[in-house]
Amino acid sequence: MTQPAQDRGAAIPPGSPLARLLDSDRVPTLSEGFAERVLAAAATRPAALPPLRRTPSWRRWRLGPRVLAGAAGVLALASAAAATGVLERAGLPVPSASTVWARLAEPSAPPAKRTSEGRLAAAGDAAAPAAPDEAGPVVLDGPVDTKAELEEVLRRIEAVRQGRAAARAALAAQRLDAALERRRAAGLPLPSPEEEAALRARIAERAAQRQQQAEARLAARRAQLEDKVARGEAVTPDDFRRPLPGDPPVPAWRQRLRELPPAERRALIESWRARREARLAPTAPPPADQGTPGTSPPQSEAPQARPAEPQAAPPE
Amino acid sequence: MNARRQPMPGDTAAVPRADAGGGDAALLARLAAREAGALRQIIAREAAGLHRIAYRMIGDASEAEDIVQEALLRLWDHAPALAARHPMGSAAASKLRLGGWLTRVVTNLAIDRIRRARRVTLGTVPDGPDAAPRADARIEADEAQGAARALIAALPERQRAAIVLTYYEELPNAAAAAALEMNLKAFESLLLRARAALRRAYEARMQGGEP
Repeated sequence: MTQPAQDRGAAIPPGSPLARLLDSDRVPTLSEGFAERVLAAAATRPAALPPLRRTPSWRRWRLGPRVLAGAAGVLALASAAAATGVLERAGLPVPSASTVWARLAEPSAPPAKRTSEGRLAAAGDAAAPAAPDEAGPVVLDGPVDTKAELEEVLRRIEAVRQGRAAARAALAAQRLDAALERRRAAGLPLPSPEEEAALRARIAERAAQRQQQAEARLAARRAQLEDKVARGEAVTPDDFRRPLPGDPPVPAWRQRLRELPPAERRALIESWRARREARLAPTAPPPADQGTPGTSPPQSEAPQARPAEPQAAPPE
Repeated sequence: MNARRQPMPGDTAAVPRADAGGGDAALLARLAAREAGALRQIIAREAAGLHRIAYRMIGDASEAEDIVQEALLRLWDHAPALAARHPMGSAAASKLRLGGWLTRVVTNLAIDRIRRARRVTLGTVPDGPDAAPRADARIEADEAQGAARALIAALPERQRAAIVLTYYEELPNAAAAAALEMNLKAFESLLLRARAALRRAYEARMQGGEP
C-alpha cells in the first residue's frame, strides 16, 4: 500500500479513500447571534490610536537597502564598463590600478627652490632651462642614500632629459623652417624636396648620435652612483655635475653659470632665450652672408650652448 | 456537491471573490466611515468561510468563532488605515480583496492559537503521553469525523493550514500562499510535504498502527 515518495505529495484525487475520509469532517455552523455579537463588540471597541508623527521606521529600513542596492548596481555597472573598455571607447580615460596607486603613494612635488641645506635639488643639471612640457624641477627631502631614492632621482632626471631632447628637436625644426622662410622671402634659391629631406634626416641622425652618447654617459654615471649608494654614501648634486673621465672640459662660462644663484641663473637664461627668439623672428632681415641650408645645417644645440660669447658671460 | 465547501446558513461566500473584489474598496470606505451596515455585510459574506478555516485548523467551534470575531474586529480597527492605502478608483483599490485579507488574519490567528496551546499543554502538563488517550476518546465519539480530524490535527500547523486552504477551501496555490505570507515556490514545497505526511498518516491508520 505504500506509494513512491514522489507520488505522496500529489494532489488528493476526489473520491479516493483519503478524500472520502477528509470529506467526512463536517463543520458546525456559526452560533446564533454571531453577527450581533461582533457588531456589539465593534461598537464598544475603543477608537484606534492616531498615527505617529515621526517617520515610520519601515521607511528607513526600506530606503537604506534600496540606496545600498542602487550604489552597488552603479558600482557593478561602472566596473563592468571599465573592464570591457566601454568607457575608453567613449573617450573617458580609465587609469589602471597601478597608476592610481602611484598617484596616491607619490608625494606632491614642492615648488622648485632650495628650502634648506639638508635638501637636495635632484633635477640634475640645474643650469639648463626646463623644457616647456616637463614636470618641472624636483626636490627630494634629505640625502639620497638608498637605491629607491636614487632610482627616483634618475627617473626624474631622465624625464627632464627627454623633455629637453624633444625641445631641442622642435627648436631645430623651427630654425630650419625659419631659415627656409627667410630665403623664400629674399628670393634666394631653396633646396629641393630631396635635399630638404636629406637635411632633416641628417639633423635627426645627429640628434640620435647625441642621444646615444648621452645614454652611454648616463649609464656609466648610473653605475657609479649605484656603487656609491651601495657603499652607504649619500648622493649629492655634485655627483651629477662632476664630469666623467674623458668628458670634454666644461667651458668657463658654463662653470660660472652653474655657480650662480638659481634666480640669477634663471633670469640670465631667460634673457638669452628672449634674444635668440628675437633673432629668429621671421620679421628680422635675413643676413646677407647666410649660406644655403643644404650646406650649412642650422645649429641644433641646446639653448644653454648658445651664449658662448664673452660678453654674454654672467658677471662675477 | 463537494463536501469540502459546504454551504452554510448565511454563507454567501459562494459568490466568486473576484466579483466581490470590485466593491471591496467601497465596502472598506464605508467601514472606515464607521458604518455598521458595512461590517454586517462583510460578516454575512465572509464569516462562514472564515469559520470553516478556523474550525478545521483548531478543531473547536467556539474557539474558531473567537478567531473569526477577532479577525473581523481587526478589520474594523484597521479600516481607516487600509482605506487610506487603497483610495477609491486607484489600482490598489481594484486589487483589494477583503476576503484574502481576512483569510490571512484568521490563518495567522489559528496558527498562533495552536502554538500557544502546545506551549501551555507542554508547560502545565509535563506528562506528554496523556494527550493520546484524549485524542483517542475524541475519535471514538465520532469515528469518521474524528479520524479526519485526527489526520489533520497530526500535521504541523503550517502544513495543516496548507491542506485546509487548498483542499477544503479550494483556494488556488497563489491565494493560499498569500494567506500564509509565503512565496509560491515555498508554499508548493510546503503543500507537497503536507500531502505526503497526510498520506503517511492515513496509511498507518489503515494498517492499524499509530501515525
